[in-house]
Amino acid sequence: MTAGREALGAALNALEQVILGKPDQIRLCLACLLARGHLLIEDVPGVGKTTLAHALAHVLGLAWQRVQFTSDLLPADIIGVSVFDRATQQFHFRKGPIFTQLLLADEVNRASPRTQSALLEAMEERQVSADGVSYRLPEPFFVVATQNPHEQLGTFALPESQLDRFLMRVTLGYPDASHERELLRTGERRDQLINISASLTPEGVLQLQQAVRGVHISDALLDYAQTLIARTRQRADLKLGLSPRAGQGLMRSAQAWAYIAGRDAVLPEDVQAVLPAIVAHRLERRDPVQSSSGPAIASELIRAVPVPP
Amino acid sequence: MASAISQRLMSTPLAWTTAALVFGILLHVDRVPFWVSSAALVCIGWRLAGELRLLPLPNRYTKLGVAFLLIAAIFARFQTLNGLAAGTALLVVMGAIKLLETHTRRDRYVTIGATTFLLLAACLDRQGLMRAPLYLVHAWLCCTALATVAQEGGGLTNRAAGALAARSLVLSLPLAVALFLFFPRVVGGFWLLPQGSAAVTGLTDRMNPGEIASLSESDEPAFRVSFEGEPPPPEERYWRGPVLHDFDGATWTGANRAYVPSPLEPVGPLYRHRVTLEPSSQRWWFALDTVLERPNRRAMLTTDHQLVGLQPVTRTLTYDVVSATRHISTGPIPRVAQRIDTRLPADRNPRSVQLARQMRAQVSSDAEFVDAVLAYFRTGGFEYTLTPPLLERDSVDDFLFRSKQGFCGHYASAFVTLMRAAGVPSRVVTGYLGGEWNPIREYFIVRQSDAHAWAEVWLDGKGWTRVDPTAAVAPERLRRGVFDLMPQSLSAPERFVRSTPWLVDMRQRWDALNYWWNERVVRFDFSAQLDLLRRLGIPDPNWHVLGWLFGSALVLWLAIVAWHVGRALRPPHMDRLARAYVKLCAKLAHAGAPRELHEGPHAYAAAVAARRPDLADAVRSLLHRYADLRYGLAGNGEASREAIAAFERDVAKLRTRRP
Repeated sequence: MTAGREALGAALNALEQVILGKPDQIRLCLACLLARGHLLIEDVPGVGKTTLAHALAHVLGLAWQRVQFTSDLLPADIIGVSVFDRATQQFHFRKGPIFTQLLLADEVNRASPRTQSALLEAMEERQVSADGVSYRLPEPFFVVATQNPHEQLGTFALPESQLDRFLMRVTLGYPDASHERELLRTGERRDQLINISASLTPEGVLQLQQAVRGVHISDALLDYAQTLIARTRQRADLKLGLSPRAGQGLMRSAQAWAYIAGRDAVLPEDVQAVLPAIVAHRLERRDPVQSSSGPAIASELIRAVPVPP
Repeated sequence: MASAISQRLMSTPLAWTTAALVFGILLHVDRVPFWVSSAALVCIGWRLAGELRLLPLPNRYTKLGVAFLLIAAIFARFQTLNGLAAGTALLVVMGAIKLLETHTRRDRYVTIGATTFLLLAACLDRQGLMRAPLYLVHAWLCCTALATVAQEGGGLTNRAAGALAARSLVLSLPLAVALFLFFPRVVGGFWLLPQGSAAVTGLTDRMNPGEIASLSESDEPAFRVSFEGEPPPPEERYWRGPVLHDFDGATWTGANRAYVPSPLEPVGPLYRHRVTLEPSSQRWWFALDTVLERPNRRAMLTTDHQLVGLQPVTRTLTYDVVSATRHISTGPIPRVAQRIDTRLPADRNPRSVQLARQMRAQVSSDAEFVDAVLAYFRTGGFEYTLTPPLLERDSVDDFLFRSKQGFCGHYASAFVTLMRAAGVPSRVVTGYLGGEWNPIREYFIVRQSDAHAWAEVWLDGKGWTRVDPTAAVAPERLRRGVFDLMPQSLSAPERFVRSTPWLVDMRQRWDALNYWWNERVVRFDFSAQLDLLRRLGIPDPNWHVLGWLFGSALVLWLAIVAWHVGRALRPPHMDRLARAYVKLCAKLAHAGAPRELHEGPHAYAAAVAARRPDLADAVRSLLHRYADLRYGLAGNGEASREAIAAFERDVAKLRTRRP
């Protein structure tokens, strides 16, 4: 337990050295992975999406693959393909890049819906079927997908049902002045990854995930979380409320957040901390004119629901 | 896209405001001139088209022009902007024009305010039982619109807004009842606004039987009567209305001339009864023939025993009168009456005049002459019908010697002409005969179709004596209504209703309900209030008592509402830990660091540390302990009791005063 926490602390430190000035986003990413969820990073190019994903894989000590999504990418390019082996006179399944522990799906909204759904199915089932044979994906298995919200031409926006499979959506945003200066001074951040050693192992990650599941959730906290979720369904100005799957994800993420903060019980603050990332890609206003973002809705929700004494 | 727009329109408070306004206009649609409601609906349509981006909204000058035009039109139509009718028309168009420029929340409030005034005007205008549900629906619409406007952008669903409005109305019901029962009524209150010219219904002081080819079959109630004690027998249920003296050969008209009347001496029983008169825009107060004294100072008893109100009857009116169906007056006939009630137009109806003189010559007294004329009607081949042929210029001659078909008006006219021709003072009395007994609440309902005309003859030693020549021709008319007598004159559905017992019963029940509504709700005035208070055990009620009762009812209602609201706001249950935490928060709030409602304990600790660094450590420790007890594993089991007790103690010990 304590060994796991120390390793986690080291991982956090290492990540903070690579991604400057974004401690909350780093914690959210880690919490998402510890909660066994998949992560969607949405931002404009050049703010460090891919670097963050690299750093995560590196620091967690996971095997990783990167797939650059394009409109002509086929499902087989991700999952793998059966090839005929002349020597054995048999078909032989050659595994695709998805058979890894951390898959970086870059610009996921550029792929055709068919390819997107192949990936998202694998994310949900944690296994892949090809030619009638199911292949289990390695454990742990994470998908970190990135997308650029401002590029519209030649993209296929992910439908709501598929967005729901990502536990969190994180936005990085521009760095503040002092961190930007640091960036400008030191140059390419990805070079620094070489200097950082892996703080965790795949087994360590699995153990951490196990530990996160043990973080205590009291009845009082469930009351609060339920009120919060119910509130998203009552509001007339939202298209849809949070699904039960999103509710479960919210609790797991809050557990992970509490664990990262070094506590063994979930507090309302933990729920509040992860809520913006949970609702960011799930809640949308009915009125397209008032298109304020998910995090703004989240802070409205948080303000509207009192924490009972 | 279109559905998105209409969805947006429907979810906005504007939709509810418009709905309330349209409903308010519809409440008045049959009272204001057609073009007023049309103009209002066009304005509303324009506003909606503007909202849907189908039409540009008018600019300021157009709006001003439209408003000026409509106000001028209303002034031209009513000659005033004051009074209920003109005021309502003005309110209808101004409300609709206001909607045209309704953009902000404040505008919507103003429009809803105008709409509630429409409801008020409707309530002043008509208070029928049928209208009550409509008013309720409109009140609910207004409240819902108010709720949506007040909660604009707060994510209140339509259903929630409607429910909120309904709950508010239910909550305000006790106050409404208390106000209704105890609010001191002003006698002859301020709400007696000048009424506009409403449609005139019922009898008038003009009768020309020859012009009428078919009597109206209106089933509208004219009035309802309940008797204290036994009602009079059917042949004495004459309800006296306009008395007609002047005849030009075809038309009878009323003329009210003041003279000292001969005093009446009642013979037989007196009938004390209460009449509830429907509005007719006329001044006659109908009552059982003959009224002995006027019921109050808002009516007068004329020399020919008509009961005439000082104002036209524009709303349901109730009064108590005493009548004698049989009476004598022994004195001589007043000279004025002698003169006007024997007058006939010269050179009109010559054959009738000749007939009368012949008949009078054959008998010795006026009374015998009356009998002779009645016998003439009985045996002369006359026929009672509701669809008589039209009559020539000398209508009485034409009727007596040619057509021989007619209804009460023909017989009364001919009879009085014959009497006058022989020099017997006589006059035509119009009113109603009979009425339908409602066994459910025990009253008579007299309808417009019960209208009747009869004659009065002056006989020396007896005074004015009622003679009904129609009874000589159709004796059954005394006991049965016109339509029972001649069912063929009814429309088919009406005949069906009358021949179906359960429909008759339902109609009577519905009418009884209406009667109760008028008696107990609409007519609930100061005297009824006093009556109620006496029954509540307050023997000598006065304004002070009413004020006290009303005040305490108000306080009681406020208490109920406060309790209800408080119950909704209070958290359902607070345990010891929660109470201690609330106490801690209160202490810290007092120390200048209040908790935001959405702050958890750790976030609150940080907030307190920022505001009161001197308290940071102590408070952080307390708040973290609370978090452990509330959300952590420490909150379970036996050990937690002691921990909670210790927490309570430490909260009590915390000193927040600045060093």
